[in-house]
Amino acid sequence: MSYQSTNTFSSRRQQSWSRNQNTTKFISSVKLGPVAHTVLVALMITVLGLIYLTQATRATSYDYESQRIDSQIADLNTKKSDLEVESARLTALETVKNSAVAKELTVPVSTEFVR
Amino acid sequence: MKLELQKGSRSRILAALLFIIMTVFAVRLFYLQIIQGDYYKSLANDEQIKIWDLPSKRGLIYALDGDKPVQLVMNETIYTVFADPQTISDDSKIIDAVRRIAGGNARENLQALLDKKESRYQVLATKLTRVQADMIKAEGLRGIGFKELSQRVYPEGSLAAQTLGFINFEGKGQYGIEAALNDRLVGKKGVLKTVTDVSDVPLTIGDRNITVPAVNGDNIVLSIDRNVQSYAEKALSDGLKRTGATNGSVLIMDPQTGKIKALANLPSYNPAEFNKVENAADFNNATISTPYEPGSVIKTLTIAAGIEKGVITPDSTYVNTDFIKVEDRTISNATKGQTGTITMQRALNWSLNTGMVTIAQRLGDGSTINRQARDTMYDFFYNKFGLGKNTGIELSGEARGAVVSPDEQEGNAVRYSNMSFGQGMNVTMVQVAGAFSSIVNGGTYYKPTVIDGVLGADGKIDRVTPQPERTVISQSTSSQVKEMHRVARSTFYSGVDKQGYTIGGKTGTSETIENGRYVDNQTIGSYVGFGGTDKPVYVIMVQVSGKNQPMQGARHALPIFTDISNWMIDYLKLQPKG
Repeated sequence: MSYQSTNTFSSRRQQSWSRNQNTTKFISSVKLGPVAHTVLVALMITVLGLIYLTQATRATSYDYESQRIDSQIADLNTKKSDLEVESARLTALETVKNSAVAKELTVPVSTEFVR
Repeated sequence: MKLELQKGSRSRILAALLFIIMTVFAVRLFYLQIIQGDYYKSLANDEQIKIWDLPSKRGLIYALDGDKPVQLVMNETIYTVFADPQTISDDSKIIDAVRRIAGGNARENLQALLDKKESRYQVLATKLTRVQADMIKAEGLRGIGFKELSQRVYPEGSLAAQTLGFINFEGKGQYGIEAALNDRLVGKKGVLKTVTDVSDVPLTIGDRNITVPAVNGDNIVLSIDRNVQSYAEKALSDGLKRTGATNGSVLIMDPQTGKIKALANLPSYNPAEFNKVENAADFNNATISTPYEPGSVIKTLTIAAGIEKGVITPDSTYVNTDFIKVEDRTISNATKGQTGTITMQRALNWSLNTGMVTIAQRLGDGSTINRQARDTMYDFFYNKFGLGKNTGIELSGEARGAVVSPDEQEGNAVRYSNMSFGQGMNVTMVQVAGAFSSIVNGGTYYKPTVIDGVLGADGKIDRVTPQPERTVISQSTSSQVKEMHRVARSTFYSGVDKQGYTIGGKTGTSETIENGRYVDNQTIGSYVGFGGTDKPVYVIMVQVSGKNQPMQGARHALPIFTDISNWMIDYLKLQPKG
């Protein structure tokens, strides 16, 4: 891309520039027509849209991950509850009374209290 | 016009066309987004936003094992297996897997169910455990789905069944603590309002998502001690076998707090199989919901009232002729022969009705049960001891019973003479035990309760501190009545108790009414007593009865008390005096 300088004088009164400001302006030598502008704008919109879609998809993928973890937590909680039920059944009085150890126990003949 | 076409007609026509198309688009968009905007927004929301209930977990119910909470009622996830007959691919494989894994929980006519191709939902098996459900899932069967359900399980089986109650098929608590504290146990449902994808997976996009978490129900810790409860049920069962009685109840209470340690009733049932119970009366907790004429156990209350009002002492005497006349009625003793001038202690020992009527008379003018006597008795029985009104125990189905007021026509002298020895009134065991506890604990009435507290997430019990409700008698009266009951018991039954402990109690044999008349061949045997060392640490009340069975307090109920009392001494590790 190249630029060319223009030294055409014009009265300051015809300009809005102030004193000591650069009075040289650069004009691109590449000329973009209306179609190119339109294409560029369309491209920019497309890129922005893609960025938005990428971010939205990423957020949604987190939702799926979150959902998966929630399911795992629920499943583990169910297993924990089931194990607690099993534990309670194993330590229930009837189970203990019918255990082999309990059947070997005998009633003491007498009880003495130490004072 | 021709010139314009020549200079740039195509561009202009294109521009014009584009303008027209864009205008059509703009107008259409304006119509859709502005004019019909709300309508389409509503349609989109209906499609994308879902609202789900977040179920709360029903609270668990615990008993105590000493000071440690142990589960009595828990929740278990069970699974229903269903098929979509339109999408299944291999009938025989499904039938084989379901029968093999579900066993008796599989429905019988599986092939017929799968052949219903017009249906999209056929239940193949119910009440499967997680392990069974996982095994069926592992088979990878097409068109098979699972539905999770929660059900109550009872690790201790039928222990304390009437105190617990059960959950009916609609998920509502019935009887016992399940019904009484249903609102606390059920918790509060939560809500999830969220945008979802096509598979109903909640998405976090948007700003309209709302999550209100569910609040699980309270985990209630009962004051019931599972060891005491278990022994009470065993002792009661043994007692019924010995006596031949068909019905019985035992109530064990800590008299210093009002906390109930056991409520045993027979016949009983298994709450997990409540639908198999044939007699709905088995659901009732007779200790709180079946009022009866208590009989002689009420003599304790009459004596307490007499001593408190200063009209008798244990050594006060009266002339016993085995009969006493009240207006036009003659009241006689059940046990005859203790005639002559006898003390109130002896009247209690022999459970003489004439002694109690004498106390009632002395609460009045000394010779009749006048209005003053009746008012005093009513004040003690109803207002102070809480007979004939709900105790407020946290169990469903508590019955009030009835104590006739002197203001009523039936509240006459004859009625109150009968009430002095426990007839002519209807009360529940919990009312009697509560009153008896207040008499032996020093004179303070505590509301009977089955609640010890709520189990927190940290595993600690947030305990309910029992608050004394009222003072019913003085410490002095309490000591005298307690001693009278110790003497009454030791007079006849000293050998049955462990030595070195203070055990006392009162028998009761109640007549029953059939078709409006008292019947002789059907009586209810009761015994209420206390035990401990320096102060009573337990009160036990026993009741036995049966159709056409003459049950007696001393012969049939007392041995059950003795059995439990001796066991309690060991269980509580009470050291003997002396």
